[in-house]
Amino acid sequence: MLFFVVLALLNGVLIGVSRTVNGRLSTRKGAFRASVWNHVVGFAFLSAILLVLRTWPDVTDAPVAAYAGGVFGALFVAVNSHVFPRLGAMSASVLVISGQVLSAVVIDCVQQRALPAPVRLAGVALVLLGLALPRLSARLRQSEPCPDPSGPN
Amino acid sequence: MNHRTVPDPGGTHAGGPRALDWSLAIAGGVLLTLMTQANAVLAEHTDALYASWAAHAIGAVVAFVLVATVARRTPPATPPAPPGSSAAAQTATPPAAPGPGGGRMPRWYYLGGIPGALVVVLSAVAVNSELALAGTIALMLTGQVLFGTVSDHLGLLHTPRRRVKPMDLAVAGCVLAGSVLIVLGGA
Repeated sequence: MLFFVVLALLNGVLIGVSRTVNGRLSTRKGAFRASVWNHVVGFAFLSAILLVLRTWPDVTDAPVAAYAGGVFGALFVAVNSHVFPRLGAMSASVLVISGQVLSAVVIDCVQQRALPAPVRLAGVALVLLGLALPRLSARLRQSEPCPDPSGPN
Repeated sequence: MNHRTVPDPGGTHAGGPRALDWSLAIAGGVLLTLMTQANAVLAEHTDALYASWAAHAIGAVVAFVLVATVARRTPPATPPAPPGSSAAAQTATPPAAPGPGGGRMPRWYYLGGIPGALVVVLSAVAVNSELALAGTIALMLTGQVLFGTVSDHLGLLHTPRRRVKPMDLAVAGCVLAGSVLIVLGGA
């Protein structure tokens, strides 16, 4: 069990490494070229794995629309590579995650025509609170007579 | 408030050029959800490895077309940034290892696709364990935020080192806790 926990955490680290490296590349080559390299290199790597594992599924009944994932992926890597070096790894990751989980809740809502479970709603509230925190504290600080010198943001 | 009067290097002020980056990052998350949804459908009809392989192939073509059409003009962020773009200058100024200016770019800058593709394989292993999908995703999100924090703090992989402020930690804590609730809370 611990092995899988570490493996899943390591996956998150690998995602961070990938986005950081793509972000570095985008500062030299531009975000769209970074996206090209990410996909070409990733494709070559996965091709090698497919060759080694020799697994090839039956691909005949896959809906064509499902291949749209590649389009979203190309756009995502470009956008993410652009903002990553500008915002820093931590802020960029946190914001992307926010957009990810919030949009997932909305999509589930629409697809299931039902409100999310209470736990999920609490999660949404927490995410929104987190995103609003910098503004909230800025507003609080403005109304205070003597601003706290330790937090200039 | 004019953002020129409030120098906010690396801060979390929403406003000015920073607001655009914030919105772009959140929009990126939405794109990621759409990608995941489509890839999941494809993986259901085939398998996870093939789905990601195909998505990379299509992504490469789409990105190439974007370069040919949208990004024809030479790469934007050549380090001596134009004076207008404060954020671009900010990424360029802290000398990140071997000269960010005219210095030669390390080859590994091209290899970001490898860890990304590796995730596809490894996450398939984790999802099939006791962790299941929700547990795997929750831990992957945690790993991302942990990496981001450490990476900013230490300036890993040539990224400009950034002081992680208490506010950043508070934001990350709320978002991470909320995301875990959403992921584990079921639909």
